[in-house]
Amino acid sequence: MNAQGRRNLLQAAPFIGPFLLLYVGLLIYPLLDGLTLSFHRADPFGGRAFAGLENYARLASDPVFGQALGNTFKYAVVVVPVLTAITLALALALNKPGRTASVFRGLFFSSAVLSVTIITLIWRFVLTPDAGLLAEVWEAAGREPVPFLSHPDLALLAVAVATIWWSIGLPMMLFLAGLQQIPEDIFEAAALDRANRWTTFRRITLPSLRRTAVLVVMLQTAAQLQLFGQAQLLTAGGPGGASRPVVLFIYETAFTRWELGYASALAQVLFVLILAVTLLQFRAGTSRREP
Amino acid sequence: MVTLASLELIEVRKAYGAATVLDGVSLSMQAGEFLAFLGPSGSGKSTLLRVIAGLETVDGGEVRLGGRRIDQLPPGDRGVAMVFQHYALYPHMSVRDNMAFGLRNAGVAKGEIGRRVLDAARVLEIEPELDRKPAQLSGGQRQRVAIGRAIVKQPQLFLLDEPLSNLDAALRMRTRVQLAELRNRVDAAFIMVTHDQAEAMTLADRVAVIHDRRIQQVGPPMEIYARPANVWVARFVGSPAMNVAPVELLDGESDSASVRLGDGSQVDTRVPRAGLAGAGPLQIGLRAESVRVTGAGAGTTDARVELVERLGDRTLVYARLSDGQALTGEDRGASRVQAGDIVGLRIEGAAAHLFAPDGSGRHPVESTTA
Amino acid sequence: MKGLADRHRLSPLALAGLSVAALVMVAPLLWTVALSLKSNAELMRDSGTAFFAPYTLENYRAILQGSQVFGWLLNSLIVSLGTTLGVLALCSLAGYGFARLEFPGRRALFVFVLLGLAVPEQAVILPRHQLFADFGLHNSYPGLILPGLAAPFGVFFMAQYFRGIPRELDEAALLDGASRWTLFWKVLLPLTWPAQATLGVFTFLASWNDYWWPLISATRSDRFTLTVGLASSQMNYAQTSGLGYLMAQAVFAALPILIVYALFQKQIVGAMAGAAAAR
Repeated sequence: MNAQGRRNLLQAAPFIGPFLLLYVGLLIYPLLDGLTLSFHRADPFGGRAFAGLENYARLASDPVFGQALGNTFKYAVVVVPVLTAITLALALALNKPGRTASVFRGLFFSSAVLSVTIITLIWRFVLTPDAGLLAEVWEAAGREPVPFLSHPDLALLAVAVATIWWSIGLPMMLFLAGLQQIPEDIFEAAALDRANRWTTFRRITLPSLRRTAVLVVMLQTAAQLQLFGQAQLLTAGGPGGASRPVVLFIYETAFTRWELGYASALAQVLFVLILAVTLLQFRAGTSRREP
Repeated sequence: MVTLASLELIEVRKAYGAATVLDGVSLSMQAGEFLAFLGPSGSGKSTLLRVIAGLETVDGGEVRLGGRRIDQLPPGDRGVAMVFQHYALYPHMSVRDNMAFGLRNAGVAKGEIGRRVLDAARVLEIEPELDRKPAQLSGGQRQRVAIGRAIVKQPQLFLLDEPLSNLDAALRMRTRVQLAELRNRVDAAFIMVTHDQAEAMTLADRVAVIHDRRIQQVGPPMEIYARPANVWVARFVGSPAMNVAPVELLDGESDSASVRLGDGSQVDTRVPRAGLAGAGPLQIGLRAESVRVTGAGAGTTDARVELVERLGDRTLVYARLSDGQALTGEDRGASRVQAGDIVGLRIEGAAAHLFAPDGSGRHPVESTTA
Repeated sequence: MKGLADRHRLSPLALAGLSVAALVMVAPLLWTVALSLKSNAELMRDSGTAFFAPYTLENYRAILQGSQVFGWLLNSLIVSLGTTLGVLALCSLAGYGFARLEFPGRRALFVFVLLGLAVPEQAVILPRHQLFADFGLHNSYPGLILPGLAAPFGVFFMAQYFRGIPRELDEAALLDGASRWTLFWKVLLPLTWPAQATLGVFTFLASWNDYWWPLISATRSDRFTLTVGLASSQMNYAQTSGLGYLMAQAVFAALPILIVYALFQKQIVGAMAGAAAAR
């Protein structure tokens, strides 16, 4: 490096140095250390013994992990399309000027600012059979309350419903932003071409939202594959692990059974899976061309 | 009295990677002189201005101001002030703070800052605007603030980057007058970058025509117009562009060169013959005003009219000679010529220029009788 | 042109659908508020009484009269404000550096920072937990604040904003004799105010609602943030058995952020959408 380069680096150091230090120390180092950790047997007091691929071999045949992985994907496969469809519909309905639409937009976004603990508190007392809102409504209709949170077939669904309720704000806003970017004159041109509303929607609006839709699906997939708080707080993964997602399994492995090496291996596998799935979605979403 | 050269450029070179943008530019300015850098976009004129300001480093050569070498100094220490094309006013500062910012950075005393800002504001008639933000000002007012910000620094050299390009026609005229007044009031030199030759011609003492990484010619406006250094300058300066056509040098006894156009017609110029014979192919340069439109057969040659441009006080006639050579001539305002007509063109040989094979210009000897 | 005008109005059908959806959005919230306004004793008998009067403020009184919720609120406030200020400072500096300074390796470093956007929390949280244990940072404010400062989004966001400021301003300031620092501090930084507001709101909200890191880092109840504190009451709810009290806590915890949302709706929506779209 020449003198000029050194001088420039010195000049830039006070500006980018502080962030880089924290970034490397608190993100990059833990990321690499996590990878190392996954090849070790480790306890919370810093003891580590090299274990090679033992942790990975173990997770490959761990039925609990298998169940958690299955739950996670089952859950994401339900939540992501439903959430995308609902938010797209809301955005299409609310892409209007005026006060009414604005109030609706504000309302549908509002749940997104609440923390996961508040969401789960609210939904627990909507869904529990002994004091929940739904149970009261059911009973008023003369029917037996349904134990959503403790039924093996319904627990994961309950988590999904609460999550969808919590998460509609952001994708809706992204779709609205996408709609705003479609130039008005295309619609005018389409009207002059005697396109009816359905044709306009199918041939102009939807194709224009393609990029946004890919973004929404990618973001939501990555987020939902990392499901944690809602499941931990609403169902604690139960009953019998029926609603335990991978991240909750990682949490339990690390912080209740203190098997840090194994938990790290689980985290690495999930990281790679998320990366792979979102990259696949990105390629599928951007390479396919309209005929 | 010895006049100290205010700005001196000595063999200034500048390259971005492999692309040379300034190739050995040398220039010397008088104290208090107003110089215009005139050239098309991409000619390097703005780069040259930025090199002088210190916004670009030089790769070779020297820049001196008032005898002091400044090319290694930071921009703020060079004793120059710049008025930017888009004004570059600090949007979050009041007009007062915009003007005072540079003085504060230089550690000028508070009272002195206030006095200079007020003086400049008075002169530029923006005193009532001092506490407003740039966004609250009109385009013309912003322009004046930008000038004020330069004035308060009391620089040895003002650098103006296309100062009139963002103003509408009426405001441009007024600002032109203002710049001329400013120039009379302050004891400093000015450099203005422009692509508008009318601006350059009206404001500047001398014009430096810049093209293709170097200065093509430096001189007073009329000299650039009357004695262009080469074909490029000849065609760039003046509107419509000078006619340039290949000619053949005729043998003769006279000191002045006579030439023959492609269609066979002869033009007797007042350009000295010396050094032209045997040098290679020549070109003639004719301004439209020295190609007068007459009746067919009445002029030097005949031509077919292709396009007529009526400007009111005069009429430009775009015509083609029998050999296909295009020639633009001039007629009076009330001309009746129409496209398709055959007209005569009377070429005033006394005003013709010749260009040597290397493109350099040869000009008519000044008429002693005029 | 009936079709065109129509596109600007809500059709009755759409309005009906939206109203149903809005009811689904609001009903759980209203239920929560209703539960919080009932006495615990009455709810013990039958939570269905929440549909009807009498309502009481006794649960809120109980919170005001002494509850850890205030401590948690304070912790959340300190952690969120600390994180927000830290992020704004670090990201403004780094964003300016990446946008405006020339130095060797700048592009590569920027890409290196952007790669961090793809790293999910669960991939770093275990080693980070160990790291903080080694430095004795758990159950402390720095321990709760620091991880939030290492997020690359803000750097990207601020760099983009700085790039949008015309370079002529930098040049004018250089000709005005401004130093690098003066240029940054007095000329450019004041112009980034809208970006600071957006990034600030986004960071504050993310920090305020963060759950997993404070869950494992703050294990002493006096160090809980509001999210973790509420989680703990939620899990111990069977023991305290004050359903109305619990719901009052939820409302109490939700109120500050809902008020902030009502005040800064535009910035919050813009910030979250911008952050998502940037990825």
